[in-house]
Amino acid sequence: MEWNHYILIGILSASVFFVAGAWALHWAWKTGQLSNMEQGACSIFDEDEPQGEITDRFPVRRKRRNFRGNPTVE
Amino acid sequence: MSSNPSLVESINPSNGPVLDMRARLGEVDDSMRKPAMLFLVSAVFWLLAGTLLAMVAAIKATNQDFLGDSEWMTFGRIHAAHLNTMIYGWGNNIIFAVAPWIMARLCKARIRHTNILMLAGIFWNVALTIGILGIFKGDMIGVEYLEMPQYVAPIMLITYALVGVWVVIAFRFRQSEHVYVSQWYILAAFFWLPWLYSVAQIMLVFEPATGVVQSLTNWWYQHNLMGLWLTPIALGTAYYLIPKVLGRPIHSYYLSVVGFWSLAMFFAFAGIHSLIGGPVPAWVISIGVVSSVMLLIPIVVTAINLHLTVVGAHNEGWASPTMRFVVFGAINFTAVGVIGAMMSLRHVSETTHFTHFTVGHAHHALYAFFSMIMFGAVYYMMPRLLLKEWRNPFLIKAHWYMSGMGGILMVVALMVGGWVQGMQMNALDADGAPVYDFLQIVENTKPFLWARSMGGLMIMVGHFAFAMNVFWMIFSPVEVDKVTEPTLLTSTPDKA
Repeated sequence: MEWNHYILIGILSASVFFVAGAWALHWAWKTGQLSNMEQGACSIFDEDEPQGEITDRFPVRRKRRNFRGNPTVE
Repeated sequence: MSSNPSLVESINPSNGPVLDMRARLGEVDDSMRKPAMLFLVSAVFWLLAGTLLAMVAAIKATNQDFLGDSEWMTFGRIHAAHLNTMIYGWGNNIIFAVAPWIMARLCKARIRHTNILMLAGIFWNVALTIGILGIFKGDMIGVEYLEMPQYVAPIMLITYALVGVWVVIAFRFRQSEHVYVSQWYILAAFFWLPWLYSVAQIMLVFEPATGVVQSLTNWWYQHNLMGLWLTPIALGTAYYLIPKVLGRPIHSYYLSVVGFWSLAMFFAFAGIHSLIGGPVPAWVISIGVVSSVMLLIPIVVTAINLHLTVVGAHNEGWASPTMRFVVFGAINFTAVGVIGAMMSLRHVSETTHFTHFTVGHAHHALYAFFSMIMFGAVYYMMPRLLLKEWRNPFLIKAHWYMSGMGGILMVVALMVGGWVQGMQMNALDADGAPVYDFLQIVENTKPFLWARSMGGLMIMVGHFAFAMNVFWMIFSPVEVDKVTEPTLLTSTPDKA
């Protein structure tokens, strides 16, 4: 390919990048994605994994009973 | 339209987006189980393969005769195989497991067309296997990060397209009103990667540009693969998991949006700084330097946001396997970003360029930041997908300590060694002659390379502990162990 073809590819790909970015920003603005941030931050919580609840911790080792019947850690 | 539409119905733009009822998280997890586990298991296999290749390459750096009798085992092939195995084998497979899962959960919709992901998973791993074998065979392309032979590129591009189409369909039929910042990061990354990969393939493999343009394109691709693919996925994951685990919203949601758009704006040009000192017009380099320094905006913003979200909840974070890995990765994102911005400055680059410092920087980004966040995601995701608890907390801790300490040892050894190497290469006496002989400098780097190998060994131990726990969990009995205190199931018993 000639050098000017590479420049053409470069300009075209850069245009795709910027036009897509500008369109996404416009869409976000138009649909209110950039407003009411407080509510947006809480949108990941729901009734299954609610706000205020820790949802991950190390598993506790299983307890077994020893020969005397007392609980012991495996 | 039915609740189970065909693929044609799903991609038809004239169909409205509101089709389904809002789904419970358990339903979403259930629908994602097969594709996510296919990618996850593949990722673990590639991780182990890549780690073994890394160890061989690291030993060869200090002991050239090690496995030196076969051309299949020469350093050039082993190094390229390691690189591609880790980026496209571990990195992309784990992204294809984690990112669609997070997207599906945030969309809160019943997931459709998971067979697209299954097909993509098979295609991807077959192409990768052929590509890695091609590297060993000697069909390697001499372009860093694109070494796999060109006959696998079309299959990989089709796979990207399949996963990308699935992500777009999932997003389009979302049942949530707000688009959370993680969705922005994931959507953007799935748009950026095919863009980067196809342009790089055209300009570097199928119709290779010559001279400076080739180097510019190579660095543009290489840097953006990290910055516009791995980084947004890892940040999107961190923005999802940190508030989710702690049960508290992100410190400043406004800043997270600023961070996303500033990353999108500045990262595309940053890679050019890697050609400082090369025969490239000064203004082109200056654009790269300015963009790299401007990247401090998303880095600082993200650092403030993620770290302030954790402030006051350190005990809860320490008690969570996910948080240990994700916070470790987030801290290293800040560190690697600041170091990267410094490396783009001309005077700093004079010392660090062409040294092990750059290798250390790459491992810092790909391992200490990206991979650690992905490990954290696996620790959160797998119990929810399989409805089982992790079988052994000791193995999780072994993984965290070995990967964390091994990674830091490796990065510090390479960076310090690289800096010393750069200083010695640039050292001139009063007459302008080099103070050090080149071979002497190579000998002087050996202690640092041995320290790197030690770090690699620790990482390998960590990865085997991780793999053992993953497969132990997969092959353990199906029912939820009521005796353990589960990571997840106490709060959502109705999901099971």
